[in-house]
Amino acid sequence: MMTFIRPRLRKPLRNALAGTVFAAAWALRGGNAWQLAIVAEVTVLVSAITIYVRAGEDNDEGALAGSRADERQKLLSLRSRALGWNLATVAAFIGLSIAVAVKATWWWPFLVILAVAAFGYLLGL
Amino acid sequence: MALEEGRGGLRASDADREQAVEVLKAAFVQDWLAKAEFEAHVGRALASRTYAELAAVTAGIAAPLSTVQPPDAPSPMREQRTRRKISQAELAKSLGVSRQTVILIENGRYLPSLPLAFTIARFFGLTVDDMFGKEPARPRISARSRSAAHSMSRSVKH
Repeated sequence: MMTFIRPRLRKPLRNALAGTVFAAAWALRGGNAWQLAIVAEVTVLVSAITIYVRAGEDNDEGALAGSRADERQKLLSLRSRALGWNLATVAAFIGLSIAVAVKATWWWPFLVILAVAAFGYLLGL
Repeated sequence: MALEEGRGGLRASDADREQAVEVLKAAFVQDWLAKAEFEAHVGRALASRTYAELAAVTAGIAAPLSTVQPPDAPSPMREQRTRRKISQAELAKSLGVSRQTVILIENGRYLPSLPLAFTIARFFGLTVDDMFGKEPARPRISARSRSAAHSMSRSVKH
């Protein structure tokens, strides 16, 4: 489906879609949460516009935002995402250790993150 | 300048004196030093006791040949591109990569993948080896010049 959309629009639309799902989740929560849903939607739209504008720049970030990255830029993005995941798993591990130490009931989301990271790693091998 | 400055008062080792002699040999084979000058410099280098003395002997002589590079040697890709009067942006468009990638390849800061290397080589009508396989040219010293300098420095030592 994405191939029918102009490369420059792909990432902004993907972000806008994900943000709208998140905003809808707030709206479904009921009560006064609809105000937060509006804030979330506005934030996401601003972010999508920012990505669209940056996609027009003639640099590595612009190429990645505009879905027209070459092999070097894809490698750069891959490294960056790998670093992001490494940091996320370290943070999840620290969170899990703390949750276990203080006998908290919210330990399992950290375990889920670690499990997903491990599964993704094995899938990528 | 081959020898480091800033430690001039320290005593030099035999290895340092040998290094200085190597610098002088390189200068001699490049005709930067006349025979008489070379002999005098080698004699002084071998008699030097401190880094300052060694530095004085090799003063005004460029780095040893192993580190000498031709001035502003262009990369084969830049050479081919400028010869054909193609801009970096045009080349990038033809190769299907970004202008930044072309710049980095030309500066030797990014080695392209094999498919891209083949695309580049095909674009210029050359082989991958021509484009990326060769080391930058270094000044050559003939075996004859090298042995002449070696025997001359030995005769000065003894």
